[in-house]
Amino acid sequence: MIALEHVSKSYNRGKVRAVDDLTLTIKPGEIFGFLGPNGAGKTTTIKLIVGLLRPDAGRIAVEGHDIETEPLAAKQVTTYVPDFPAIYERLTGLEYLNFIGDVYGVPKADRLERIDKWLEIFELAPVVTNPIQSYSHGMKQKIVLTAALLPGPRVMVLDEPLVGLDPRAAHQLKEMFREHCDAGKTLFFSTHIMEVAEKLCDRIGIIHKGRLVACGTMAELKAMDRTEGGQSLEEIFLEVTEK
Amino acid sequence: MSRAGAAGAEGAGGAVGGGVGRLRTIVTVIRAGLRSNFGLAVIKHRLLKEKKDRWLVPLIGVAALGVVPMFYGIVLLIQNLYFVLKPMGQERALLAFGLLAGQILILLFGIYYVIAAFYFSRDLELLIPLPLRPSEVMASKFAVVVINEYLTMAAVVLPVVVTLGVVARVKIGYWVNAVLVYLTLPVIPLAVVSLAVVLMMRFINISRKKDAFILVGSLVLIGLSFALQVGLGRTSAGGEGAQPSLQAVAAFLTSPNSLLNKIGAVFPPGIWATKAIAGGFRAEGLANLALFLGVSLLLFAGMIVAAEKLFYRGLVGLGETTGKRRRLSRDEMSRRVSSGRRAFAAIFEREWRIMNRTPIFLLNGILVGVFVPAIVIIMSTVDKGSGGGGAAQGGDAMVLIKAMVSANPLVAMLGAALFMTVCGSINGTASSTFSREGAQFWISRVIPVAPREQAAAKFLHSYLVALVGVVTASVVAGLAFHLAAALLVPAVVLSLAAGVVLTAVGMMIDLARPLLDWTNPQKAIKQNLNVLLALFADIGILTVLFFAAKALIKAKLGTSAVLGVVLGMLVVLAAASYLALMRFADKRYPAIE
Repeated sequence: MIALEHVSKSYNRGKVRAVDDLTLTIKPGEIFGFLGPNGAGKTTTIKLIVGLLRPDAGRIAVEGHDIETEPLAAKQVTTYVPDFPAIYERLTGLEYLNFIGDVYGVPKADRLERIDKWLEIFELAPVVTNPIQSYSHGMKQKIVLTAALLPGPRVMVLDEPLVGLDPRAAHQLKEMFREHCDAGKTLFFSTHIMEVAEKLCDRIGIIHKGRLVACGTMAELKAMDRTEGGQSLEEIFLEVTEK
Repeated sequence: MSRAGAAGAEGAGGAVGGGVGRLRTIVTVIRAGLRSNFGLAVIKHRLLKEKKDRWLVPLIGVAALGVVPMFYGIVLLIQNLYFVLKPMGQERALLAFGLLAGQILILLFGIYYVIAAFYFSRDLELLIPLPLRPSEVMASKFAVVVINEYLTMAAVVLPVVVTLGVVARVKIGYWVNAVLVYLTLPVIPLAVVSLAVVLMMRFINISRKKDAFILVGSLVLIGLSFALQVGLGRTSAGGEGAQPSLQAVAAFLTSPNSLLNKIGAVFPPGIWATKAIAGGFRAEGLANLALFLGVSLLLFAGMIVAAEKLFYRGLVGLGETTGKRRRLSRDEMSRRVSSGRRAFAAIFEREWRIMNRTPIFLLNGILVGVFVPAIVIIMSTVDKGSGGGGAAQGGDAMVLIKAMVSANPLVAMLGAALFMTVCGSINGTASSTFSREGAQFWISRVIPVAPREQAAAKFLHSYLVALVGVVTASVVAGLAFHLAAALLVPAVVLSLAAGVVLTAVGMMIDLARPLLDWTNPQKAIKQNLNVLLALFADIGILTVLFFAAKALIKAKLGTSAVLGVVLGMLVVLAAASYLALMRFADKRYPAIE
């Protein structure tokens, strides 16, 4: 579970409000899609949840652990995939996975099983002993995803995770999302792909100029809309982010 | 677009626009390169808009004031040398020494700078697809290196040129030519280095072990430039021992062959530059200025021509390493998947691997610890080789050291400890430990490992790198200076304790303001202000310790008592600084955004 209560974050000494009084709860077993135009506050929100940024106001808890007062407990149950796969290029893929396994304290049997599974799915097995700097962008994204899946986290937070993935890997990742949440775990991800959000997410939040302007299931979002006919998510998005 | 594709496209349609247009393009690329390299936009934004880093301005001011006494000492020395040399008509040799030292410094640092700027800047991936010639891209990188060199050589060249100009009350021609020579000074050595590096990279790129070749190649180039320095030392000494005293310098300057001409015989640009400045607007000055500028231009042009043919060939695919595709068997995988180490060990191993596998980090880190003592041992060998005649002026450096050891073993012990400490801490490993993580620092922020544990693992890594320097320095002190074990052991113990202090202080400085937005690993260690600030802090701490030890000696305490008190102070300082580092890590990690 992820809980944000009246969270605000600004830059430039308060001149730019990136996140403005955001209150949001993502329940266990839920896939939550986070949408918004560029610069709306998606990445800032994500960075606040994983502890990369400190909120100016409000409280964030992951699985009941306050990110400010119990950061290690919160981090222990969370993994994060950034929008750009900046990872240790001089390590091999396997060394990186071992590093992540060590710092999260993943038992060897689980480690072997998960590494084996995800390397096969992402077709990384033949290159896992090569330096990461020899990987393509998509391969780097896949190794970051494998590392994020390795600890078997209760909560996964992903920033644009489908960017750079080939269709097969994207399909498998979406299946993993469902599998992850069917096991009662939580998944929070940002995307610009409306179709994916519409089909995959249990609930969707739309952020605009730092404020949550719409949030709910697809049916709830459609009900919010006052115009005639069944609108698509894209049309709802355009409407609520117009101003 | 891949680099190969980009290079191909450039080859087909690279030349766009005519002469003036091209010149404008080059200037734009150079300006962009300078802005991006020196982070001018970022500094402006942080200082004026975000209003961060303002505390740095007075700090740098204080640090700059701190080096004023040192500069004053250098200026006084130059002034004294001038008055000794003037009656012998050899005062120009002083200018030649300054310019030559500057050029050697450029040669030595240039190898790091050139390799990093030409081959490891990430912005190359943006520049190559643009409609620019390889030579234009290289010229922009060259300009960045030249500006860096202005800063490097300022400490060596400016005091000599300015002091001599003021003392000798020279005419305007001196100053005008001095400015022109100063602006051109890096071109010849850098063009030579660039040609060597571009050639080297052209062949390294065909190898799969590029990093290893880059490392070996850089070491060979550094070795060659050092050999040149030693060669110059031998020639300029002309069979006489290099003495730090005024009389000795004066003595070998009055040898039948003029020192100036000797330098000129080995490295003519040094003499042209000297004559250009000293000659002012007289025929000699202008002729030598023309010669110096002409040769600089010629070499620069040569480099540009070579760049057009070789630069992209060495560059294409350099950042991309290929690996064999090989699937591990179940058994192999089981062996290679770690069975779970402590987070501390995992972080330590990460630090070690990344440092050792990044040539720029390795060259500036561990290898500095080996280089500095090695240079001292080579210098002492050279000194012996060229000594003899000069010994009449009071003996060579070895004799001095031996005399000091027998006269005052305590001072020798403290001196050896200082030498070892400096050799251990002169590398920027500790003061760049957080900066080196760069864009990957997010990983350290999100993993469930306490900041103090991460800092402790990093501390161990930095301390072991310092230890490499201490051990090498103690071997040098034992072998080259024939220090007995009874002197060496206490010195090693003192330097190990001092190493803890300096490592912790260096790490705290870097943690206060980590430089994480670099695109070129060189910036993380070599052009990192934190490394410089840590160096100032180190000088400050060692100066305080020096005066403390001096006071103890003056108080007529016995050797054991002095050593005991100094060691006690160091142990207390070490414990305090380590604990402060741990606390600071806990406080600072979550605040780094």
